[in-house]
Amino acid sequence: MRRRAFFLAVVVLVALTGWLAASVHGQSGEYNIGVHEPLTGPLAGEGKRHLEGLEIVRDMINERGGVMGRKLAFAVADAPDPTAAATEATRLITREGVRIIVGTFSSRLCGAASEAAARHNAIYWETSCVDPRYSTRGLKNAYRTEIDATGFGWYNVEFIAKHLAPRFGKKPSELKIAFLSEDSSYGQGVTEAARQRAKQEFKMQEVAAEYYNFQTINDFTPVIVKFKQLQPDIVHHIAYTNDAPLFWRQAREQDFLFKALVHAGATGYGGVDFGKALGANANGVFALLEPGPGFKIEALRPEGQAIEKAFRDAIQKRTGSYPLGGHQLAGGGLWLLKVVLDRAKSDDPEKFRSAVMSLDLPVGSMINGWGVKFAENGQNSNERVQHYMLQWQDGQLVTVWPEEFTTKRAKWIPLGAWDQRK
Amino acid sequence: MDPARRLGPAEIDVFAQLAVSTLLLGGIYALIAVGLTLIFGIMRVVNFAHGEYLMLGMYLAFWAFSLLALDPYVVLPASLVIFFVVGLLTYALVMRGVIHASHNVQIFTTVGLSIALQNVALVLWTGDFRVIRPWHSSVVIRLGGTAFNLSQVVAFAVAVALTIGLLLFMRRTHTGRVMRATAQDRDAATLMGIDTDRVYRLTFAIGIACVGAAGALVAPLYATYPQAGLQFVLIAYVVVVLGGLGDMAGALLGSLIVAAVEVAGSYVFGAAWKEVLYFVLFIGVLVFRPAGLFGQRGAETLGA
Repeated sequence: MRRRAFFLAVVVLVALTGWLAASVHGQSGEYNIGVHEPLTGPLAGEGKRHLEGLEIVRDMINERGGVMGRKLAFAVADAPDPTAAATEATRLITREGVRIIVGTFSSRLCGAASEAAARHNAIYWETSCVDPRYSTRGLKNAYRTEIDATGFGWYNVEFIAKHLAPRFGKKPSELKIAFLSEDSSYGQGVTEAARQRAKQEFKMQEVAAEYYNFQTINDFTPVIVKFKQLQPDIVHHIAYTNDAPLFWRQAREQDFLFKALVHAGATGYGGVDFGKALGANANGVFALLEPGPGFKIEALRPEGQAIEKAFRDAIQKRTGSYPLGGHQLAGGGLWLLKVVLDRAKSDDPEKFRSAVMSLDLPVGSMINGWGVKFAENGQNSNERVQHYMLQWQDGQLVTVWPEEFTTKRAKWIPLGAWDQRK
Repeated sequence: MDPARRLGPAEIDVFAQLAVSTLLLGGIYALIAVGLTLIFGIMRVVNFAHGEYLMLGMYLAFWAFSLLALDPYVVLPASLVIFFVVGLLTYALVMRGVIHASHNVQIFTTVGLSIALQNVALVLWTGDFRVIRPWHSSVVIRLGGTAFNLSQVVAFAVAVALTIGLLLFMRRTHTGRVMRATAQDRDAATLMGIDTDRVYRLTFAIGIACVGAAGALVAPLYATYPQAGLQFVLIAYVVVVLGGLGDMAGALLGSLIVAAVEVAGSYVFGAAWKEVLYFVLFIGVLVFRPAGLFGQRGAETLGA
């Protein structure tokens, strides 16, 4: 009898504890995910823009009912360098108790952060880094919504071969191309992919391939003097930060003439700071990015149009401007996370994974006109993550290619003399 | 020599351009290294926060230009004064407490100061890259087959003037002699009635004033952002060692050597090699001439 009473008491107690725990969670009504961006240090400018994009989309998600029936909330961590990225990812999981981490903007950080998450069997949701090695490590719960660097390289060469070459009146195989790149995994990933495709598929003539450290480069004149002798048609320059305005200024000083400069990514020439620094002097530079002004929203599918419009309005309301690359990558990635969670209805890694794998949305369905089809390695398909070539035109980066997606057209092809690009 | 290999006009132009680039880049390095050399030479403190004062100088020029439309060259005299005061304050608040401590403590202190200043800049002005374009930065001078920027020429001229000025100050004035005496033997100097604390305070303030002024000269050429100092300061350390640990003329020559290695190395081997090359030079100098290329023998152990 006493034993039975004791047993009953234990059962009641266990049930009560469970109910209490559940009600505490329910009362808070929030579902926390870890957000992991560089908010101090050299990458902070873009990291903060990412956080802004995430916050805007978080609010959009909450206006539409949150995730898994709860309000979405962030536990934010600062990851200025790879070491901090790993320790902060661990802290988010072990101390803050998150099961999903969204991050990290930079190719310098995503590897370390996702490794740390994998050790704790947490889900890592990368929105921006493009290091190709991210998805080749066999991590089961590491996903990436953005294209990888090989995709950047692929698109850049596609643009050069299919759009620029005909406008120069040349065959791709007649083009002389000089590769210049900062030497982080991002620059190397993009450049090596572009070199390979340019050489193998289009037989372009590579006249140079130069790498440098973006944190210590103070003078490009030796490189420019060398390039001038090689007379490339195209300069394929992957820049990271202030190396872009420095190269552009010194190329101008040295009167280095080429037909086009092509970059990829929201860094260097693709960053808003480049246009601010140079104004109309930046005219003509190409950067592969998410869509900018000129982007035809009507070219998207109806569901894509609706969400893209809501996203642009929300960004406009908060920042007063058109979405910038950081907003688009982070925001677009977070929205896709919501779509997955709506399907999985759980943050259990197995259920989450099958929800991710079951998504099959064509180009034009999501923010930025993206589609969704994840591969087994957790990488969203490069073909679905539609990218666009933007060009600096009078202080603004406008969408110029593919032409079916935009109302604007590429100008200054080929680039004329330095003082005639007005 | 094979006649076909004889230098044509194109090769001469390339050579001339590389020489000009070396000279002008060396000028910028000298501008930054001269204050560091002074502080190291007299106080025997490696100021790891030196680059951050450069960054602050760049921000001063940036804000003066964008808010008040003041040309960086107009700001230059003001920044000398402002950063002299900033140097005095930093000395009083931070450096004075560690000047007699071990090198480790000094290193930790200045590294901490460096990180703190970077993050203060980040909080106040965000991580954005900011660029100013005063008229002289877009004036391109073409001479023979070479091209260069007017702002660079001014920076070079000021670097040379600053080096010569400091050299004369150290050699010819009483204060300069007092400073050198303190550097050679702190205890003996104290026994001779020299107020070493005052000497250090003055040295630090002059060093910071130099790098603050350098900020105004560099701002038209390079982007201003919280980590802008890091871009140059590593090279400044190489220059200080190369030039002879505290020797002003050595620092100027050291800057030119580092710039030559960088420019020639980038042209011949590629830009990726430039750091390998000048750090090999750096290690070579430390091994074979520990007092630096131009320093007096034993300079490396002074004040130890």
